[in-house]
Amino acid sequence: MSLRDNRNVKSVKTSIRTTRNTVRDALPTVPGVPYLYILPFYVLFGLFLAFPVVYTLYLSFFEYQGPGSGTLLEIDLVVFEAGVPRISSLEFVGLHNYRRLFGDALFLQSVENTIIITLIQMPLMVIVSLAVALMLHAKFVRYSGYFRTAIALPVTANYVAYSAIFLVMFAENFGFINYMLASAGLPTIPWRTDGFWAKVSLALALDWRWMGYNMLILFAGLQGIDRRLYEAAEIDGASRWEKFRYVTLPQLRPILLFVIILSTIGALQLFAEPMIITDGGPANQTITVVMYMYEEAFSRFNLGYASAITYALVVFVTILAYVQLKLGGE
Amino acid sequence: MATASDSKSLPVRFALYITLLVIIAITFIPLYWMVVAATLPQEEFFTLPPRLLPGTHFLENLQALEARFPYLRSVWNSVFVATVYTVISLFLCALAGFAFAKYEFKYREPLFYFILATLVLPVQIMIIPMYLLMAQFGLLDTHIALILPFLANPVGIFLMRQSMLSIPDSLLDAARIDGASEFQIFYRIALPAMKPMLAALAVILFISQWNAFLYPLVILESEELFTIPLAIERLTGHQRIYFDQIMVAATIAIIPMIVLFLWLQEHFVRGFTNSM
Amino acid sequence: MTSIDLDNVSKVYDPNGEAIEAVSDLDISIQDGEFLVFVGPSGCGKTTTLRAIAGLESITDGSIVFGGEDVTDARPRERGVAMVFQDYALYPHMTVRENIGFGLRLSSGLSEQEIERRVEETTEMLGIEDLLDDQPGELSGGQQQRVALGRAIVRDPSVFLLDEPLSNLDAKLRTDMRKEILRLQQELEVTAIYVTHDQTEAMAMGDRVAIMNHGRLQQIGPPEAVYLDPANKFVAGFLGSPSMNFLEASVESTDGTTTLEADGEFRHELPAGSVASSATEYDRVVVGIRPEDLEIVETGGVPVEVTVVEAMGDENVVYVDLGSTELTARIDSTVRLSRGDRIRIDFDSDDLYLFDPDTEAALETKTAQLTAYREPRQADATNP
Ligand SMILES: Nc1ncnc2c1ncn2[C@@H]1O[C@H](COP(=O)(O)OP(=O)(O)O)[C@@H](O)[C@H]1O
Ligand SMILES: [Mg+2]
Repeated sequence: MSLRDNRNVKSVKTSIRTTRNTVRDALPTVPGVPYLYILPFYVLFGLFLAFPVVYTLYLSFFEYQGPGSGTLLEIDLVVFEAGVPRISSLEFVGLHNYRRLFGDALFLQSVENTIIITLIQMPLMVIVSLAVALMLHAKFVRYSGYFRTAIALPVTANYVAYSAIFLVMFAENFGFINYMLASAGLPTIPWRTDGFWAKVSLALALDWRWMGYNMLILFAGLQGIDRRLYEAAEIDGASRWEKFRYVTLPQLRPILLFVIILSTIGALQLFAEPMIITDGGPANQTITVVMYMYEEAFSRFNLGYASAITYALVVFVTILAYVQLKLGGE
Repeated sequence: MATASDSKSLPVRFALYITLLVIIAITFIPLYWMVVAATLPQEEFFTLPPRLLPGTHFLENLQALEARFPYLRSVWNSVFVATVYTVISLFLCALAGFAFAKYEFKYREPLFYFILATLVLPVQIMIIPMYLLMAQFGLLDTHIALILPFLANPVGIFLMRQSMLSIPDSLLDAARIDGASEFQIFYRIALPAMKPMLAALAVILFISQWNAFLYPLVILESEELFTIPLAIERLTGHQRIYFDQIMVAATIAIIPMIVLFLWLQEHFVRGFTNSM
Repeated sequence: MTSIDLDNVSKVYDPNGEAIEAVSDLDISIQDGEFLVFVGPSGCGKTTTLRAIAGLESITDGSIVFGGEDVTDARPRERGVAMVFQDYALYPHMTVRENIGFGLRLSSGLSEQEIERRVEETTEMLGIEDLLDDQPGELSGGQQQRVALGRAIVRDPSVFLLDEPLSNLDAKLRTDMRKEILRLQQELEVTAIYVTHDQTEAMAMGDRVAIMNHGRLQQIGPPEAVYLDPANKFVAGFLGSPSMNFLEASVESTDGTTTLEADGEFRHELPAGSVASSATEYDRVVVGIRPEDLEIVETGGVPVEVTVVEAMGDENVVYVDLGSTELTARIDSTVRLSRGDRIRIDFDSDDLYLFDPDTEAALETKTAQLTAYREPRQADATNP
């Protein structure tokens, strides 16, 4: 009764019906179906995502000379002729663009600005959104759903549109915020003319836009915590603080980390807000990495150098996103 | 499960509700103030103290805005681009996600993980090559150039595959027995069974296109093709800034989305918590 | 109505280079209008076989013939089969009406009124006409089951395939649905192939029962035949509840008497006759005895100790230790037993089954009792 014997018998038979082997496990449907389904996706994916990832890296080793002319690659099969056009004319400069990064005061300034804005913006946002999520999660709070909806409203705001609101609100002379400060007897703040306060104005705008979003994520996380853990802690006689410290916080830790990384990634890619609210000023004090990249690329057409800046950014964001993805997997 | 610690004393509850109300006030003030500013006549805008109640000059302000810039055209462009993008991308992502979830084929895993790997890449990485590519294709300054590159959305295919995995194989087999073709199985069984996830993904896709700023800024030149973000950017970049007109523009950009949010809230929330 | 021939059907899965032989060399002829049950432990290849017959799974080898026509490469819709799934597989976004009508709308070419009429007729037949506009999510398990049956029969199939259709129902509903399915099958005069891992269900429902193990057909025949005359130890042990007791015994033949001996304590002298004669050629045999064939005796028999008593109402299932072997006996509940009791059990030599210890093939079964039975409903067990 050994399996081996059967194999032999079978192989004899297989020779009679050889055609079957090719479609073995496929359902007796059109075998190409799944490939057909993913084809459109992959064509677009290859052209517009896979190619750019490689091409940006490639560009970062070159100096951009102007739009391309002629063909990069020609396929000529007598009946079939195709060419891959050259999309830019370039001069190889090796690692020059990357070396230039480290000596470029404006680039370093943009990195510093980006980091400082992140450092101001993130702690406030995480703490407030966590606090709000906890409050709304408390069992005795009524109408928690309505509160949540109200607080989450800014997630719907278009980046540029909400930035425009804050542009007007942070105006130094007629701005709403300075007026409120003044009428409360407080000194007004030079939101436009002081580098630090300009950064703060961006951070506050960002906090307003993203607090509700992070609150939603943290709230979902709180809801995911097993109620029985709290019951067990209560049976052990834990106080409210102890329940928070030993149940909520450890259980929420991955999601909290997740929120922090997500916000950091967002902050590193800051563009619309500084463009609209501060226009990078005063004196480049709020210019961000992406803003600088944009200007190098599309104001000065240093596409090679701009690609190097992009890759510097990409490396950071990718590492963070990778960590985030790992966390998400857990 | 009522335990001792749940029944808070009145002062604690009171403090808590007050805190929540303050937070809600902070959330609402900029939006409220936007509406106020958009509805006041230009000359009343700069009065001190500022007006705190909305006026009735919204249409006049909008007319003044339209005289300077075809903003409603931009709104239409935004809606058009985001809608077309969402519908096509949704279909492509669902189709590919379905193949990955419900068919066995060679190189299925490597192909999928290849896409997954690009999930971590920031959008900025595509900007420069895309600009050159679109220039090459003669698509600079077109709406097609805004839609095309983002159709193959890695988040989309990922979410679709994940949720399609939950469709029982027997459901598809039942349809095969019922005589459905493979495409009918996708279109008439899998898609309708996935409605909630499709709605959530639609929200994600629509909002991503609705908010897009950097890339359209690179691609579009003609004002009549501008989307909302570009239009507002143009308005704020002028020598003389018309605050009331900017607030009109912002109101038109934001209020409909708030209404949409209140209407489709569950899909929004599912979209947000899934796209993390 | 269709007869079905499976000719040397094999299915090898090859997910990542390691071949899994799910079905090997299956050779079965199913007659027109027959109710055939595939039964076997989980993973033995029942579902694979059924899916291959449905056309949902390609086969690696062999051919499948429906009423003389080779359908090995035909798609499900070309085969005229209907199938009921274990999880019912109702389309969640469609009403009962749409679920049942879906197949007709897709491929029958019938008019809308005709489809409506058939859907309603079918639901009346199943007593679910009040549920027509409900969604599957609103229905109970039993109701979903009926809708699944409705979807299968509405298209007037020639072959009716059911994959463990009752395993998600509770016990009471299960026996009701058994009868219901048999009634439908007879009313519609359709060939039915039914898959289950539950041998009680198999014995109760099948005109014939096909027992599978490790992808191979072990035996096929009417329920009485496979029960009384199992082809091998696997079949003998699989059918019947509780399972048949097995113990390995040595055979001693001296002066015309044949004695079975096991574990020191067990000695049984076989009377001269067929049982004895089939044993004498062996040094060792596997002895099988069904729990219902064991009885308590005052004297003689074998001394054993009671370990567990499970009350079943009219009878008790009694577990006893015979040396290191555990035996199961079904004892009338009027006999009160409890753990630790020392009793003597005995059996009739005619009730013994004997198996080859190496090949596990049956040497001796109850064929004598089998011939006393009425003729099986189907003419003969296998006729390729
Ligand atoms: N799609 C598949 N890929 C690989 N192996 C499979 C697949 N389907 C079933 N098998 C294997 O084939 C064998 C028989 O499975 P199945 O027919 O489902 O058994 P049953 O229905 O009797 O429980 C099992 O060992 C199972 O693991
Ligand atoms: Mg099975």
